[in-house]
Amino acid sequence: MNALLIILGLFKSPDVYHSTLTYGTLLLLPALGGVISERSGVVNIAMEGMMLTGAFFAVVADLAWHNVWLAVLVAIIAGGFMALIHAVVSIRYHADQIVSGVAINIVAAGLTVFLLNQFYGVQEIGSVAPQFLIPNIKVPVLDAIPFIGPIFFEQNLVVYIAIILLVAINIILFRTRLGLRLRAVGEHPSAADTAGINVYTLRYGAVIASGLLSGLAGAFLSIGLSNTFVPNMTDGRGYIALAAMIFGKWTPLGAFAACLIFGLGQAIYDNTSIIPISPYFLSMLPYILTLVVLAGLVGRSIPPAADGIPYEPGNE
Amino acid sequence: MRHLRFRFLALGVVLMLAVPLVAACGSTTGGGGTTTGKTIKVGLVTDTGGLNDKSFNHLAYTGLLKAEHDLGVRGDVLQSVTQTDYVPNLTHFAAQGYDLVIAVGFDMQVALGQVSQTFPNTHFAIIDGSPTDANFNPVPRANVLSLFFREQEAGALVGTVAGVLEKDQKTPKPTGVISAVGGQKIPPVDRYIAGYQWAAKMADPSIKVLVGYSNDFTDPTKCSGIANSQFGQGSDVVFQVAGGCGNGALQAAGQKGVYSIGVDADQGFVDKSVIVSALKKVDVATFDAIKFIQDGSLPPDYQATGEAPCVASTRSCTEFLFNLKNGGVGYAVDNLNPLPSDVQTAVTNLENAIKAGQQTPPETVS
Repeated sequence: MNALLIILGLFKSPDVYHSTLTYGTLLLLPALGGVISERSGVVNIAMEGMMLTGAFFAVVADLAWHNVWLAVLVAIIAGGFMALIHAVVSIRYHADQIVSGVAINIVAAGLTVFLLNQFYGVQEIGSVAPQFLIPNIKVPVLDAIPFIGPIFFEQNLVVYIAIILLVAINIILFRTRLGLRLRAVGEHPSAADTAGINVYTLRYGAVIASGLLSGLAGAFLSIGLSNTFVPNMTDGRGYIALAAMIFGKWTPLGAFAACLIFGLGQAIYDNTSIIPISPYFLSMLPYILTLVVLAGLVGRSIPPAADGIPYEPGNE
Repeated sequence: MRHLRFRFLALGVVLMLAVPLVAACGSTTGGGGTTTGKTIKVGLVTDTGGLNDKSFNHLAYTGLLKAEHDLGVRGDVLQSVTQTDYVPNLTHFAAQGYDLVIAVGFDMQVALGQVSQTFPNTHFAIIDGSPTDANFNPVPRANVLSLFFREQEAGALVGTVAGVLEKDQKTPKPTGVISAVGGQKIPPVDRYIAGYQWAAKMADPSIKVLVGYSNDFTDPTKCSGIANSQFGQGSDVVFQVAGGCGNGALQAAGQKGVYSIGVDADQGFVDKSVIVSALKKVDVATFDAIKFIQDGSLPPDYQATGEAPCVASTRSCTEFLFNLKNGGVGYAVDNLNPLPSDVQTAVTNLENAIKAGQQTPPETVS
C-alpha cells in the first residue's frame, strides 16, 4: 500500500513523464521501422540486430572522427545495410522472412562483439566525450512552461526528430498516394502489380527505411543515452518494439502508445531506490503494464494480409 | 500461416537467448615471457559482463596477462554472454586438460559446483564465491580455491569520503543525501554498499543513503536511469557497484554536475565526476591463484584464515581472503585530488582502525 502511494506520488513530478517519453522514443523508432516494413508485406523481426549494429558503429565513428553528426549518419547507414541484407534475402530470394530476421539478429550480436575485439582488443573501447554526444536541446521559451516544459521541451534531439517522423510517417502512410501504394503492396501485391505499382521497389524501400530508423535508434542508445558500446546493449529493445508494433495494430500512433506504456514501466523502475518493492518484481512492471493495458483495451491485432508472403508475379 | 509466424517468433526468441554461443567464441592465446616455474595452462571464463566490462572481468584478465608475462604460463579466455554458457565454458577448459580453470564471479557458483565435481583432478579457482549445488548450498571441493574480498572495507573508505564531504557541505548540492546503484542484490555487491552506508552514517549521522539495484551488470542506460532518479531525490554523490551498467551512473553524475564513486578498478578515466574509486584487486587475486597452482607459494603478506589451511604440496586450499590489511582491497583518489584535508584524515584513520581490527564494517545492507 505504502509502495503504491510512493509510485502514485511519482506522477506529481515531471521527471517520470520526461523519462517515459525518452524511453518510449527509443522504442518508437524501430517500431516505426517495423510498421513501414510490415505494411509493405515484409515481416521484420530484425530491428534488434539493426539497432545493435547502429549502436556499435555510432560509437566507433564517434571515437574515430569526434563528430557526432557523422557518427549518427554512420549508424543510420549501418542499420540500413543490415536491412538491405534482409531485403535481398526475403524479397529477391523469397526466403522465409522470420528466419532471415533471426539470422540478422544473430549475425549482429556476433559481428559487433567480434569487431569490438578486433578494433579495440580487450582494452576498453573507451567512452565518447560529453561534447560529442547527441545533445539535449532546451527549446527556448517553451521550456519555461511549468510542468509541461521539462517534459516535452528539454529532451534529446533524437526525441524531437522521432516525434516529427511519427507524424510524417503517419501522414505518408494514410494520406498520400505513396502510402496507399505501400499498403496495397502489403495487402494484395498482385492487384497492386496489375495496377502498375512496382511491388519490389516499394518493398525494398520499406525494409531499408526500417533499417535506417533502427540504426538511428541504435545511435540514440549508445551516443545519446549512453556514451559507450557494451556487447548486446540493445537488450531486447528491438523485440519490445516489435511487440509494440503488433499491439499498436501496425499503425504508427498505436505503436507509439504501446512504446509509451513500456517506457512508463521503465521510468517507474528507475525509482527503485525509493519504492519498497523487490527490484525483481519491479523489473517485471513494463511487461505487466503492457499485458494489462493492451489485453484490456486493444483486442485483436490483424496484420496486413500479405505480410510475410514473398511476392512472385503470376503465382496466385 | 499465422500460427507458423508465431511459432517462428518463438523460435526467434529462443535463438536470441542462444546468441551468446556465437558471441562466446572470442579467445585469446598468450605465452612467452620469462619462465620461472612449470609451464601450466590456465583457462579463464568470464561472467556475462565479458572482458570489455571496464572493471571486474577486465581486471581478472589483466591478472592473467601478468601471469603469462611474469610466470610464463599459457592463458586462454572464454567469454560468457548468458548464464547458460558457464557450464560449457568451464567444461571446455577442464576437458582439454588445463591445469587451472578460473571462474570469474559469484554468478558462476552453481556451474562451478557441477563442473568441479565432474573433473576432480583439475584445479579450479572462483572469484567472489564458492562452489554450490543448484539450491545455492555450499558444497566443499578439495580442488576449488575461493578468492574472497572484504569489499565492505573498501566500501567503508569511499563511504567516509562521501559522508565527510556531505557533512562539510563540500559536495556539489549539499542536501544530506547520497546514494548507491548496485547491479544485483548479491553478497559481493551488498558488502560494498554495506560498508559505504555504515561509514557514511558514522561520518554524518543524519545522512540519508538511497540504495537501488538495476538487476543488470551490462546496460549503462539502466543504471543512468536509476542514478538520475536518485539525483532527483537529492543525492549528490553516487557509488556505482554495477560493473559496465554502473558506468552509466558515473556518466549521469557527470551530466548532472554531481559526484560519483567508481568501483573495482580505478575508474577516474571513465568520467570527470568520479572523485574516488573503491578498489578490489581482482588482478592481484587472479595472479596469486595462478602462482599458487604453479609453484605452491602463498600470496605475499597473506594471513591464512585459520579455518582454511593451504597445503602447498597438493596445491589444495579452500580460500584466499583479500582485505585492506594485505592490500587486496583499497581506494584510489581520482578527480578530487587532493582530498580536503579533514576527509583525508578521516579516511586514513578508518583505514588504520580497520587494519588494526578496531573497526569492523558490516557485511549486509541495513
